[in-house]
Amino acid sequence: MEQAFYISSIEQLRHPSDDFTRLYFGAEFCERLMPSRQDLETALRISRERALDFTFMTPFVTNRGLAQLDELANVLAHTRPDSEVVVNDWGVLHLLRSQYPELTPVLGRLLNKSKRGPRIMNIIDQIPTETRDYLRGSNLDVPSAVYFLKEQGIHRVEFDNVLQGLNLDGTDPGIHKSLYMPFAFVSVTRFCLTANCDDPTKMDYVGIFPCCRECLRYSFNLYNPVMKLPLIRRGNAIFFINENIPDAVDKRLVDRIVVQPEPPF
Amino acid sequence: MEEVDALVDAGAGEFFCGLLEDQWHEKYPIISINRRPAGKGHFRRFEDLKEAVSLAHARGIPLYFTVNEHYYTHAQYELIARYLEGAVDAGVDAFIITDFGLLQFVKEQGYPVHIHISTGGTVFNWRSVAFFKLQGADNITFPRHLSIDEIGEITAAMPPMETTAFVLNSRCINIDGFCTFHHGLARKEIPSMFRNACMLPFEVQVCSSDVSLPFMRQACMIERQRIWERVHVDDHPCGACALFEFVKLGIGSLKVVGRGNPLERKVRDVHFLKRLLDILREDPSRTAFRRTARMLYQETYKRQCRSHMCYYPEVLHDGAGGT
Repeated sequence: MEQAFYISSIEQLRHPSDDFTRLYFGAEFCERLMPSRQDLETALRISRERALDFTFMTPFVTNRGLAQLDELANVLAHTRPDSEVVVNDWGVLHLLRSQYPELTPVLGRLLNKSKRGPRIMNIIDQIPTETRDYLRGSNLDVPSAVYFLKEQGIHRVEFDNVLQGLNLDGTDPGIHKSLYMPFAFVSVTRFCLTANCDDPTKMDYVGIFPCCRECLRYSFNLYNPVMKLPLIRRGNAIFFINENIPDAVDKRLVDRIVVQPEPPF
Repeated sequence: MEEVDALVDAGAGEFFCGLLEDQWHEKYPIISINRRPAGKGHFRRFEDLKEAVSLAHARGIPLYFTVNEHYYTHAQYELIARYLEGAVDAGVDAFIITDFGLLQFVKEQGYPVHIHISTGGTVFNWRSVAFFKLQGADNITFPRHLSIDEIGEITAAMPPMETTAFVLNSRCINIDGFCTFHHGLARKEIPSMFRNACMLPFEVQVCSSDVSLPFMRQACMIERQRIWERVHVDDHPCGACALFEFVKLGIGSLKVVGRGNPLERKVRDVHFLKRLLDILREDPSRTAFRRTARMLYQETYKRQCRSHMCYYPEVLHDGAGGT
């Protein structure tokens, strides 16, 4: 089982990471938090010094973010062409396929759309077997979906550790699976509540507005009894924590664990 | 079926719809084939769908069929194939799709219909348009989470493609195509399970690395978070001010959400937009158009324009013809 260590900023390298053989680095949810060229080069240098394989994490992007990402992919392709790139945007995949074919695309968890809302656990034992199987399954048991991914050069897909259990039986062994722990993604917005959250004059700004990256200083824990466990709002994304090891790991249907020392950006 | 003529008379130029039979509902009571919970807003029989298609086509209006759940598993495909074939037989003009597996399946089957990419396709940049064009798509729906300028930047750079943008109802707080919350898990009588998860009241705890954070600023952050809970996605959110730019950008379709709404509301929504499109033909200035759009919104919906109910709130805050 490969173990990867996922950080969103260079500062997070302070966390112990000796047990890992791969470094994930980058922003997954907000283009404003993509690393600078300098930070990417630093992460690449550190990964080389520590003999770590390298995976570059990318978010969904607007045209402006796409241009910025193009520059970073160029650095990556020239410095570390054996790198993986986790794509959470079909346009980023198009960029890689057309401009940087030497980089290896991985389907990110934003494009792998299992249901993650914790409320499912309140009814999981009351719903028909077919529905339960659906909620625990994925489209990777559909031949057309697997064909589509392989045609796009994708041979690895990222999974969250969903509370209802992850059933990967019947999925294509030609698609490798990674499991993220302990933070599972639930939802994301561009109407970022954390943006300008300490400016009373912008209290009703629920839209796409400039921000001061307040998310680097604040996060929110959200409690409602129906959720059974706290939700964590970090930046523009929502997570929960699940530290249980799913059966899919015991069955060796997952071949990489991606450890997040903090909720990622 | 009975809605077709009324909506065409009000000004509708395209229809989208879904269908849900009991057989699907029995196996998947909380998982719709088209992201609408069971109940209102679906055709129940393919015969009715066929008649609706005939009525629409008789008025020169296309009808699109939604199969836009975010993913389908292999076990569902026997039923899905029957839905797709039934819809083709009924004469629908396009499938609206999110799942890449279903997109590939539809291509493989060679159904004689167009492929539209749902907002679940999360097209945030021009390369995503190019990607879906390579996959055979004929139309993409932009996510709600793009500004007017960003939509303009995409249309300026993208390859030729028909486009759709949301303008009325259901201003989702989270990005539809990425959101994995599941709503409608129980009947309305259990609101904590029925309501959209993002609209539930939460106790909020601020976690900050800034230990010197003054109490008042913490309170401000919590209050800001609570705005989220007050934003009802269907309290007449509106993006009509953007029609000025959308027409110039060549956005082909304006999407009115709310398949399950009463006919009276649907007619009102369509009529509201039709009047604004007619006004745009007179080539008003942006400021004059925005002013008219707001007056008409207030007159139609008996509400003031509100920032958190505005699809494109930058028009209220950045001076882009806002006031």
